[in-house]
Amino acid sequence: MAGEVRLSHTAAMILQAISAGHIYGFSVMEVTGLPSGTVYPAMRRLERDGLIRSQWESQSVADADQRPARKYFRITRSGQATLAASQKRYPLLTRLFAVPTQENA
Amino acid sequence: MTLRGLHVAILQGAALLVPAPKRAEWLAEWRAELWYVNRRATTFCLGSFCDAFWVNRNSPAPIARRRFGLESPARCVMLLAALTALSFLLAFGRPSHDVFPPPPSREAQDLAKVSAARQSNELTPSVLIEPNQSLVNRTPSRLSVVACNQPAQRRAETSPQASEDFPLACLGVCILTLGILSSVTPLGLGEYPANRYAPTAPIRLLRWVFLAIKISLLVPTALCGSLALFPIMPPLAPMAMFLGLLFGFRWALMDQRERCPVCLRLLSNPTRIGDPSQSFLGWYGTELMCSHGHGLLYIPGTSTSWYKTQRWQYLDHTWRDLLP
Repeated sequence: MAGEVRLSHTAAMILQAISAGHIYGFSVMEVTGLPSGTVYPAMRRLERDGLIRSQWESQSVADADQRPARKYFRITRSGQATLAASQKRYPLLTRLFAVPTQENA
Repeated sequence: MTLRGLHVAILQGAALLVPAPKRAEWLAEWRAELWYVNRRATTFCLGSFCDAFWVNRNSPAPIARRRFGLESPARCVMLLAALTALSFLLAFGRPSHDVFPPPPSREAQDLAKVSAARQSNELTPSVLIEPNQSLVNRTPSRLSVVACNQPAQRRAETSPQASEDFPLACLGVCILTLGILSSVTPLGLGEYPANRYAPTAPIRLLRWVFLAIKISLLVPTALCGSLALFPIMPPLAPMAMFLGLLFGFRWALMDQRERCPVCLRLLSNPTRIGDPSQSFLGWYGTELMCSHGHGLLYIPGTSTSWYKTQRWQYLDHTWRDLLP
């Protein structure tokens, strides 16, 4: 069922970025070049549709690094199916993002 | 204020748009993201308004009305009646203030204007009065009426013509409001197909009585509110009445659509069903339920040819045992 979801190019780009390992909102912003007012609502839409899921980082991990805890996103199984369908629709999508290094993620 | 403080203030301002239960988490998320932003942080923070609007629009029905106790029909009517009484008091209850200025005298041709300086270029004759002199001694005998020219405060701005036109303006505003109403909210109240669990006709009639009471209280509230405004700002009074009626009617219809047709209480527990992206073959929208177990309301996310408007489903009495 989820494979039938048709995404806009922007939403597909964001999903591709998350799939490529850019799992924080700001990281997705940086890699896509989209403004915050587009990225965050789009990610909420994707989460509402069950294509990604979010989870707060452990506070102890954030405290150890002396920074605030972040919310990170993972692509779901139905999100992967939707992304595969979107990649057929937008063939250049797969060539957009490189897999991030550990510190970017 | 530092730049960092400005950014936090922007985020806190945007957070006001987010429903209260989600606000703390939403703000924590944006503040955490802001920590990593090292350039164009202001632009980044301004984008939070788009996100806040999205969260606001995609959250379950606001519960603000419950804070005012509007879920009960009796309390809703009592609050509306109190609002009507308050607006009535504002319009007519102030001492030594009439809403409209007195009508012109029938003997206007015999009136003279009493002033400290003679003004010969006016249509009405002028009587010069010196300080500390009796007005009666100086009044010409041919005048049968003596008018005391007492300067009013702001009420003098309202002309008698305006007071004559006001009822006509009210009628025009009412007609205009009813004409425009359909563009701000659907006029239909939804489908309530009767089944064997539907209540009797007198109970179903109560729903319409309740709507009639609400409207009959809202109209005088808007009218008295604009009347209270009329002496202060006459040109704005019709506009205030228009807006009052428009949003009053809109609220009355929206409120009516979200009430149980049996007990007239506001429905609760909104639940989103389905996905908007799958609306071609599947139903999606919001389901609400009566907290007393009288039925379920299905509100379609998108109006379709087979589900144009919201639909109510009566439930049998066994549901009432499941609910408190």
